[in-house]
Amino acid sequence: MTIPNGLVPHGDDLNLDELKRAAESILLVSGGPVTVDQLVEALGVAPQTVHALLWELQQDYAGRGIQIQVVAGGFHLCTRPELASYVQRFLRLDHREPLSQAALETLAIVAYRQPITRAEIEAVRGVRSDHIIERLLERHLIRDVGRKQALGRPILYATTEGFLRYFGLKDLADLPVLEGTDPRGALGGMTPTPHASPAEGSEAV
Amino acid sequence: MPYNVKIPQFEGPLDQLLTLAQQGHVDLREIPLARIAEAYLAGTEHHVDLEEATEVLWMLAAMIEMKSRLLVPKPDIPAEPLPLEEPSDLEARLEEKLQEYRAFKEVASALRALEDYQHRIFARPPGDDPNAVFLEGVTLDDLFRAFQQVLERAREEVGEITAEEVKVAERMEAILTLLAQHPQGVVFADLFAAAATKLQVIVTFLALLELIKNRRVRAQQPQTFAPIRVALAAP
Repeated sequence: MTIPNGLVPHGDDLNLDELKRAAESILLVSGGPVTVDQLVEALGVAPQTVHALLWELQQDYAGRGIQIQVVAGGFHLCTRPELASYVQRFLRLDHREPLSQAALETLAIVAYRQPITRAEIEAVRGVRSDHIIERLLERHLIRDVGRKQALGRPILYATTEGFLRYFGLKDLADLPVLEGTDPRGALGGMTPTPHASPAEGSEAV
Repeated sequence: MPYNVKIPQFEGPLDQLLTLAQQGHVDLREIPLARIAEAYLAGTEHHVDLEEATEVLWMLAAMIEMKSRLLVPKPDIPAEPLPLEEPSDLEARLEEKLQEYRAFKEVASALRALEDYQHRIFARPPGDDPNAVFLEGVTLDDLFRAFQQVLERAREEVGEITAEEVKVAERMEAILTLLAQHPQGVVFADLFAAAATKLQVIVTFLALLELIKNRRVRAQQPQTFAPIRVALAAP
């Protein structure tokens, strides 16, 4: 498929308007965030056109009941927070259970230091965290991404796409800035090395 | 429930000892790990909590590794990160740790605000297309015919299930009967009749494991490679 380069594919404002409405309809039928790539393919326009269309659409939504949220690498059509009580009443939802403080802290540590082992999490928190990690795994906020090449080959944890969606984050770089030590430096700095020194194991005991 | 250590050098939960050792607050060279292990093993004579045992095993193994690293002379490689370990830096490191924890606490409250916002917005749940077509071009008659075919095929292919010759429950009974006759216990190999088939051996072994798990039988080995003796567990 050839993608026209121009912002307006056929030099036609009417067409642009139709594309905007098409993008809107796609966001409506999708059950989750729609990526730029998906919209590029469905609409047959360039990525910058997609961005322009969505920006305009977002402007249209000012003062309306819905909005577009950029979350987990895609665009998500959702309601506005100030209308929550009406939507909740309609859906017969009482309230959503927030995460416990301990779970939130643990999740923050995983988010900034991933991939991370249980022991490393506990070293920061100073308390045992196995139960909390279990709960976070159950809620699909974190997942197991392999094993660290260290004594006991402990499991490494990282956050999931569901985590981004839960907090309405575009990606991991969208996380709130961590004071002091640069968290971004830690990100990816601890990726497991598949060819760790063989002495590591034989030295033990 | 954490396992409590009680030795002259340290008294408290084992995980605390591990944490202190990891942080360099306790010199493992002064801690008799073998005595901790012995004391724990002595305790397990009466009661074993598998989860606790795993935990204790893991923690002791970690400490043994750390201790052996301390005991083995270090190769004369030009030390790089050693200056970090100076005791004068300990306070700084502790402060750093605290700072780190505080930073995470702050970030957690920022995440809490995001969570609160997200909890107040709603989107379409995935995969609830009301017009989804599950059966295209299939009539009720088609379904009925397909069902009849399945029934017919099932009638043709009636298989025969051979009776289980050796049952774990039976073997458990047999082992208990045998052990009741030998209060001193028997050698492991005696549990397996000389002419036993492979299946019998397997099932008997499963039965033995089951009995050990249920604490009705105990297996002991006086030393490594010695014959294992199996006896009824004390009631």
